[in-house]
Parts: sequence; C-alpha cells; structure tokens
Amino acid sequence: MNANPLMPTLGRLVEVRDLATEIKLLRVEMQNGGGADFQNFQPGQFVFVSAFGLGEAPFGIANAAGRGPLVDFAVARLGSVTTGLHELDVGDQLGVRGPLGNSFPMAKFKGRNLVVLGGGIGGAPLRPVIQHVLDHRGDYGKLTILWAARQPSLLIFTDEYAEWQAAPDTELHLTVDKPEDGWGHSVGLITQLLEKVSPSTRNTTAVTCGPPVMIRNVTRMLAGMGFAPEDSYVTLEARMHCGLGKCGRCNLGEKLVCVDGPVFSMAEVGNLLESY
Amino acid sequence: MRKTNADGKSWLISQAELEAWLDSISNARSLIAPRQVSGTVLYRPVSKINEIAWPGGRPGKSSASPRPVLSVKEIFFPPTERLFKIQKTGQEIHLEEAYPDWETVVFGVRPCDSRGVKILDALFLDTNPVDSFYARRRANTTIIGFACKEMGPTCFCTSVGGAPDDAQDVDIMLYETEAGYLAEAVTERGRFLIPAGEWRETTNSPETSITIEQFPVPENGKWPEHFNDTYWTRMSERCLSCRACAYVCPTCHCFAIRDELIGPGEFDRIRCWDSCAGANYRRLAGGHRGRPEKAERLRNRFFCKFYYYAEQTGLGNTSACTGCGRCIDVCPVGVDITEVLQDLERPA
Repeated sequence: MNANPLMPTLGRLVEVRDLATEIKLLRVEMQNGGGADFQNFQPGQFVFVSAFGLGEAPFGIANAAGRGPLVDFAVARLGSVTTGLHELDVGDQLGVRGPLGNSFPMAKFKGRNLVVLGGGIGGAPLRPVIQHVLDHRGDYGKLTILWAARQPSLLIFTDEYAEWQAAPDTELHLTVDKPEDGWGHSVGLITQLLEKVSPSTRNTTAVTCGPPVMIRNVTRMLAGMGFAPEDSYVTLEARMHCGLGKCGRCNLGEKLVCVDGPVFSMAEVGNLLESY
Repeated sequence: MRKTNADGKSWLISQAELEAWLDSISNARSLIAPRQVSGTVLYRPVSKINEIAWPGGRPGKSSASPRPVLSVKEIFFPPTERLFKIQKTGQEIHLEEAYPDWETVVFGVRPCDSRGVKILDALFLDTNPVDSFYARRRANTTIIGFACKEMGPTCFCTSVGGAPDDAQDVDIMLYETEAGYLAEAVTERGRFLIPAGEWRETTNSPETSITIEQFPVPENGKWPEHFNDTYWTRMSERCLSCRACAYVCPTCHCFAIRDELIGPGEFDRIRCWDSCAGANYRRLAGGHRGRPEKAERLRNRFFCKFYYYAEQTGLGNTSACTGCGRCIDVCPVGVDITEVLQDLERPA
C-alpha cells in the first residue's frame, strides 16, 4: 500500500539565527539524512515544516543543497505555527515534509547574467539561487542582486552581504522604504532601485520574489524594460495545506502553485485568468 | 440511456432476499447504508437491517427515502480524519500512523454519487502522489448502487453526462422491479459478494428510468471567455459564503490540515473539509488576502467544477459536477447551479 505523503520526516533543530526583527533562520538536520529526496533539493523548492501540536506551514528552502547537510528556512513570526517555530530550542525535534514543488531552471540559466530581486522575507527562497551561482561562479555571467526591506532592521542575511559582494562579477544593491540613522544605501521601493540600477536585458534573466504587490510591480517594470516573459521568473507564495496538488487551496486559475510552481516564468503566469 | 460495464449476469430478488443478503453482509463487514439520523438521511453504519432508510421504500411498510443529504464522498473522504498521532516527550517527537483497514460495503448509492467517487479517483488515486487514506478506503469498499426510477425535482444528472440508471461506477447495481429488484454484477468485486447459487438468474433487462429534459452545459473550453463577466458579481450578491454547497457536493475536495490537542503532549494531525468560498481561505501570513471578493470565490467554485479540475486531473472535456442537485437544495439564498449554467449558455 502507498505510503502517507502527508507524513513529515523528523528533523532536529541544530542552529537558530536571528535574521532580522522577528525573523529567524532555522537550520535543521534531517533524521537519517531525510531520505534520498533531501540529498539533492533544488533552488526554489519548498518544504512543509511542522511545529507539532500547532500545525504545519510551507517555507521556501533557504539554502543550496551543496552547502552541507542541513535544511535552512526563514521564519517570520506572524501566526501560531511560526510562533511555535520561533519558540523551539536547539535540540528540539520538528517535522519537515518535502522537498516539494518545482525549482529554478539553474541549468538553463547557465552562461546568462542574472538579476535577483528580493523583497523582505521573500529574499529567503532566492538565497539558494545566489549560493548556487556563487558556488558555480564560472557557469554564470554577471550576478546583480537587488535586496529590499521596509526598514534596515528587516533586511535578511545581512551577515552574508560581504560574501556576496566579494564574489567576482557580483553586485549587491540595497534599499529600504524607511531609513534609519547611518543608512548609506538607497531609500525607496525596490522598483525605484530597479529603475536606478537599470540592468541590461542582454543575455539576462530576472528572478523575483517578495510580497504579491512587489511581484506585480517589479515584473511589470521588468517587462517595460524589455525583459521577455520567458526571461522573467517569479516564485509565488500561496496559502497551501498539502503541497501535493490535492487540497485545492493554492490554485491560480487552472494552475496549482504547489505542483506547477512555485517557480514560474512570466510566460506561464503573466496571462493567467487569475492574477497572483 | 442506461450505461453499464456488466457482463450480463443478473438476478431477480425479493425484498426479503435483499434484506437477508444485507444482513449476512453486515455480519462479516461494516455495512453502510442510508439511515435516518435526527430527521435527516445520511450514509451511516447500520447494525440492523431495519435501520436502513430504503431508497425505494419497503413494500407495505415505508415509502421511498430521499437521497442522503451528504454524498457518499464522506465514506471515502470523511469530513474529518486523522492523518497520524503525535506524541511529544521533552524534545522528542513520536509519530504514529493508523489506517482505516476494514472491509466495508456501502448500500444504496445513487448513480450521481458513484460518479462523484469516480471523479474523486482522478485526483486522489490517478494523480501522483496517491492519497494513501482515500486509496485504502477505496480498496476496502464495495459499492452497491441503487438506480433511480425517476429524477428528483433538483436532479440534472443527464445534463452533465450521467443517468439515473448509470451503472458504470458501482460494483453491483440494483434496479427496482414490480416484485422486488434486479441485481446486476458490474465488477468482479461485486460478483464476489453475490450469493449466486441462492438467487434466481435472469436475462431480463431492467426497466429504463424516466429522465427529464437535458439542458446544454458550456463545454470546458468555453469557460475562460466567461471569466471576466460581470455576471459573477450579480450572482454573488446574495451568496453568504456559507460553504454548504461544497460540503454537500460529491466532488468538492478541498481540505485543511491542522493539529488538535488530545491530551498532555498528545495531538492528532487531522484534515477536514474546507471550501474556496471562505473569505480567509487564501489569507497569507502577513495579511494579504487572495480572492477577497465573494464574486471571485463563487466564480472559482464554478470554474473548478467545469474547467480547472478536468485540466488539473486530465479528465478531458468533462465536468466535475454529477448533477445531484444537493447544492440547490441546501443553498439558503437560492443560488441555483442549473440557472448559472443556463445563463452562461444564453447569448449575451
């Protein structure tokens, strides 16, 4: 008989890092390596994480598989499950189900320049893309990262900016809506930063993740700059309960974000009946 | 037009023979049948044959019972079901699975309901990954169908490809005759349950059921052009987003998953029916609410039923509606699916 696809694999919390105000990075060691699937998860995939007793919720995997045996994900404290995850201690067991969904076509991106646009905690599922490019630096062209948050205290992965900037042919541009004293970077929305940086579309693919309103405005602006729908990728957030195409919750028209996505090119979702 | 996959083996049985047979079934297996529960007919386990609300009535004793208020979906995909048990001890977690592994026979299933099961199969069995709970219930359950002699006031199965005597999706089909029933073995599983030696074999064909006039339903490919119709706003003005239509529907399959406290350190992870009509159904962490308008949610249910579901499960040009009419019966504000379908077919 078939195994229960809704059964999580147990893992143990081995490290917790404060990423930003009320946002933590949880690093999990999967029991027995989590099985074959967890050996080779791909940038863009997601997992369901259980805070047992409170429930489970989907999170984008925030690290590249090549960076070691752990599974990372960023958790903003917003509801009961995320609060439960914030309250876990190192050594506690938790459940991880996945990896689920499709991934960024990193092989197809080879030889191309990449513009990575991350807004708030939406940057978390883009970190594996950045890590993958940095770990295979020769395979990709110029990497331009546009990173945004409402305020400096909400910027995530700040302790990794030095690594990103030190990599060859890599640029990092930061912006916040509300600066604080000593802020030495751009001020304003990520769309304003995009206008300022104005990346060339030549041999370039854009990859965007953030809140729905940011995705809408950024992809529209990219299209206006001449990025073809096939060269503009997004990873979409949707309310989900199963991640397996069964529970029905995450549909955008006839597409299911959990199994058809979460990664889509604008050629796939730009003309959907229903907007994201 | 009657449709069946049967190999032609049929038997004529009396009410007494039917009752004796069901009685023997209930001794060895779990028997589920239409039953009165606080004035409502539902598919429920029965331990005694006289608990059954006979779909065709019991000659001289009771009249025909209406179709159950909830579809047979709940037997294969219960309103609430435990996925596994959770035990928390300090930092350690123990998970334990428990599957529904008992033989079940469901009696009195109307063709619209068995068709609903077939439609759910496309998602839960035929689209990977297989839903292990649904698959077990399906594998353990024999369906004894009951043909409708005529269609009820809100029935429209014939307009969505079904028929009141459609025997394609059951294991055994029963048809009412003047003296009792004609029983037809449709599947091997059904054949296995029939006490062939005791019953009188027949070459008779069952009487054809009385059908009402069909109305045209928009083909799957026609739906996208109606997406932006203002019609949905008009139709949704009276909708209460109460979700009753989804719960009585034989094919609405949306569910939610949550943990429930059972005792100290003990929880059940459960799933329960949900519906796209709910205002917070798509609310994201942080507050963004997808599909905030009632019109968008009402439209989604219709599009899912007649377009999305077939696209997602590869059902082709067919609908996920079985024409049972329950949503019409249950809607407190008179949203009528047959009215919507006919409105969409009308030239603008």
